[in-house]
Amino acid sequence: MPDGSKMHFFRTLARTRKRVRQRATRFSLLVVVLLFGLFLEAYMHNFNLVYITLFFIFATAFSAGAFGLLNIGRLEVTFDHCERLFAGLEGRCFFRIVNPADTTAWAIRLHCDERVVEVGRIDAHRTVRAALNITPQKRGQLRCASCSLQSLFPLSTVRFVLAFDRCLDTLVYPKPEGEALQAFLMRQKSAFGDEKDFDGLRSYSGAESLSRIHWPSVAKGEPAVKSFEYEGRMEKLEFDFYRAGENDEARLSQLCLWVLECERLGEPFAIRMPQKRLYSEREGIDAILETLALY
Amino acid sequence: MRFLKRLHSTEPTALRMLDLAYLVILLPLLLIIKLPMLLYTLLVFALLFMGKKPTMATQVTVALVGLVAIYLSLYGAFNFTGLSRLSLFVELLVYLLILAVTLQRLTRQINFYLIVSPILLMALSLFFFHSITMLLYVVFEIFILLWLILAWRMQGSFRETLRMAALYFVASLPWVILLFIFFPRISFEHASYGFRGDTVRRMGHDGTMYLDNKALLVPSNRIVMEVGFEGKKIPPDSALYFRGSVLYTDKKNHWEPLPEKVLKGHKPDYQTVNDFIVYKVTLYPTQKRWLYLLDLPFEAPEGASIDADFVTTLKKKIEEPQHYEATSVLKYRYGKKLLPEVREAATRFDPSRNPRSYALAQTIAEHYPDISKRADAVTAFFREQNLTYSLRPEPLDLNHTTDSFLLDKRTGYCVHFAAAFVTFARMAGIPARVVTGYKGDAVNSVENYLIVKERDAHAWAEILVDGSWRRIETTAFAKTIAEDTRRLLLGDSRGSKERTFLEKVDLYLMYAKYQVETWILHYSHFRQMQLLDEIKKSPTFLLKFLAVLLAVILLSIAVVLYLRRPPCSDRVLCMMRPMIEALRKKGCVRREGETMHAFLTRCHGELSSSCGIEMIDRLYESIRYGGEISEKRGKELREAIRRCVREIK
Repeated sequence: MPDGSKMHFFRTLARTRKRVRQRATRFSLLVVVLLFGLFLEAYMHNFNLVYITLFFIFATAFSAGAFGLLNIGRLEVTFDHCERLFAGLEGRCFFRIVNPADTTAWAIRLHCDERVVEVGRIDAHRTVRAALNITPQKRGQLRCASCSLQSLFPLSTVRFVLAFDRCLDTLVYPKPEGEALQAFLMRQKSAFGDEKDFDGLRSYSGAESLSRIHWPSVAKGEPAVKSFEYEGRMEKLEFDFYRAGENDEARLSQLCLWVLECERLGEPFAIRMPQKRLYSEREGIDAILETLALY
Repeated sequence: MRFLKRLHSTEPTALRMLDLAYLVILLPLLLIIKLPMLLYTLLVFALLFMGKKPTMATQVTVALVGLVAIYLSLYGAFNFTGLSRLSLFVELLVYLLILAVTLQRLTRQINFYLIVSPILLMALSLFFFHSITMLLYVVFEIFILLWLILAWRMQGSFRETLRMAALYFVASLPWVILLFIFFPRISFEHASYGFRGDTVRRMGHDGTMYLDNKALLVPSNRIVMEVGFEGKKIPPDSALYFRGSVLYTDKKNHWEPLPEKVLKGHKPDYQTVNDFIVYKVTLYPTQKRWLYLLDLPFEAPEGASIDADFVTTLKKKIEEPQHYEATSVLKYRYGKKLLPEVREAATRFDPSRNPRSYALAQTIAEHYPDISKRADAVTAFFREQNLTYSLRPEPLDLNHTTDSFLLDKRTGYCVHFAAAFVTFARMAGIPARVVTGYKGDAVNSVENYLIVKERDAHAWAEILVDGSWRRIETTAFAKTIAEDTRRLLLGDSRGSKERTFLEKVDLYLMYAKYQVETWILHYSHFRQMQLLDEIKKSPTFLLKFLAVLLAVILLSIAVVLYLRRPPCSDRVLCMMRPMIEALRKKGCVRREGETMHAFLTRCHGELSSSCGIEMIDRLYESIRYGGEISEKRGKELREAIRRCVREIK
């Protein structure tokens, strides 16, 4: 074995030791108790087989430190992105975990506060994307206090914790709920045309009401929905913050729902907020949602 | 059929892993647990194989059966005297643990004590066994447990987990060796505390010496004791007399020792002692009390007593292997302060039983008034009698044993020679006695290790000349060895003591076993101190010792580094591995999803030295995609990579 690789091995070990915290688990307590019991059995009666067992347990428990450090210490984690997160609804955030080492990393878990993702093994020179399921409780900025990779490899006696800096940092939008956009439009005087004025067919997106489905098209194998004039040729939509609900959270939830529906329909809209007006064509949907999230 | 289906499945679930652990750990314990408990264990195995989840009623029944099995297993064994309590206690613990584990296992729920119990059962099993087989099995158990823990944690393939377990095991070995050698030990020897011993009784010596057909023993190769001498060589063949009993009284068909009370309380009488020798003996169960020490024992081993005739005994019969350290002196004088009872016994004879021998002895006594010359004359007389050594002699006339052996039959083996010589010497006025024990044979030795077998049982004589006892090898008076005895002793008709290859292998295996027992199974404070003394005394030994330790550590590091890398499954990629590594060290890292061609082209552009990267790329592509998978092409690629890597470095 060349000297260089030996030194490299120990250098890597020393470097990773600084990065990784080690926490004893209840199995380490078991090992201590076991070592003590075996020690008494061996020492009092000079049972060399017990000594050998004792030393093996000690040596493996001792070596677990180095193996655990090398297992997790070289991994690199970066926060990738999150899907749109809404308060009270489950969403996913993605992390990229890179294993630049020549060896496989085993039994890896991604921890973000109380949330845990089982990553499992990461092969040498591979990158995996871990998806963390999150159900935020409230809108606003979502930050994880602590994110880390953890592993109980090899013996479960020590938990190796590799904390990473760029943790989860994203926005949680208000929970989209309230009156459907269609119902809102029905109530609006500005709606153009009559509900009965048939305007044609458009393809079925999966979100439309059953009553709108054009069944003859479904029978032909090309699902379509009926479109009416009042839907297609509406005047520019404008939502008023104060009229959207009874309290701020209800208003934000309602607006969020309408924004998402408008986005799906491709309809431009404007929101009259207390201090300013938001125009979807000018600001963009994401910016509007951000304003709602941070209100 | 459901359980057969389950058996067929190899999915490594946590329960399966635990089952495997229990199977490995329980195997040695199945050898020691009593029949009721064994039946109970089999019952649980049967229930587990059926795979049906037990109802509460089944569980209660199984628990009751278990308790009854424990009761029956220990019934009649409650003996609170002596140290046998510990064995009973440990046995009870094993049974309770088995009961608890089996009940929990039946529920198919894994809890904490189901996880930790294999190691507890393993620790308890170590109370019962102390042999090389168990040593190997313990190492195997440790490996299997380690493998199972890693397999559980890693959730990898069989091959990967096994590789990791091997790696981990090898990495732990240097620590185990260092700790085993240097971890401080306390002085006392391995304690057996009444656990299972060897029940086979060794023959050869039993404190009396028969001259009739009871003495006709077939020489056996069963080992009575193993002796390891300090230093590198064993003493000369002529000094390998292991003293057993000293016999004074001729009872026609056998010889007896003096009553115990005569010699009790009298200490050995050393006049001059020289040439000390220290050795360790492993004595296998003889069901007798004697410890066999080399003539002349200097002191009794710990726990034994030595009488005025240097006979060493224990208080109890030897029912399990004994390991003792002893010191003897090879050059000695003793016998000046002879007890009157001993002198009387050593000179007692009945002239009417052997009148012809008596007449001859008297003639010698008259011719040689000087006792030393008389002794020489007696030995010369025996040499002239044309005696034959035979293990199948004709029966002697037990009313006239000496006359019958010396003057009529003239054939016999050690007991006949010794008995006749002692009687004759006494008749010639020389105090004499018979000593029985074992006579080691240097043929059964390797370096400093000697095996003593049942066939080495021996009797010889001691005569008191000029105030000291002198050993006489009476079988040396035989002029010839009977043909059947020669064949019996040598095993065939070779007529020499030369060993066959297989016999040599057997001897060396025994030697290896002895070394393992000495340095591993019975390694103690004594051995540790001995080792440290040797290290302090001899710089050469220190250097050798350090070199061996260093070699072990380096070897284990090399194995660890070799096993750390996952094995290469793709032959062409394996060839490329040094290239990729060399380029990585130079800062050109292969990106994820990047093809080899794109990677090599990029590196070619980034690096100042091209070192034939294009050619490597071409060769790689032709082997990988061009179907040119010949050995020649592979060799070319390897050679190109070697050249390039060297250049890059």
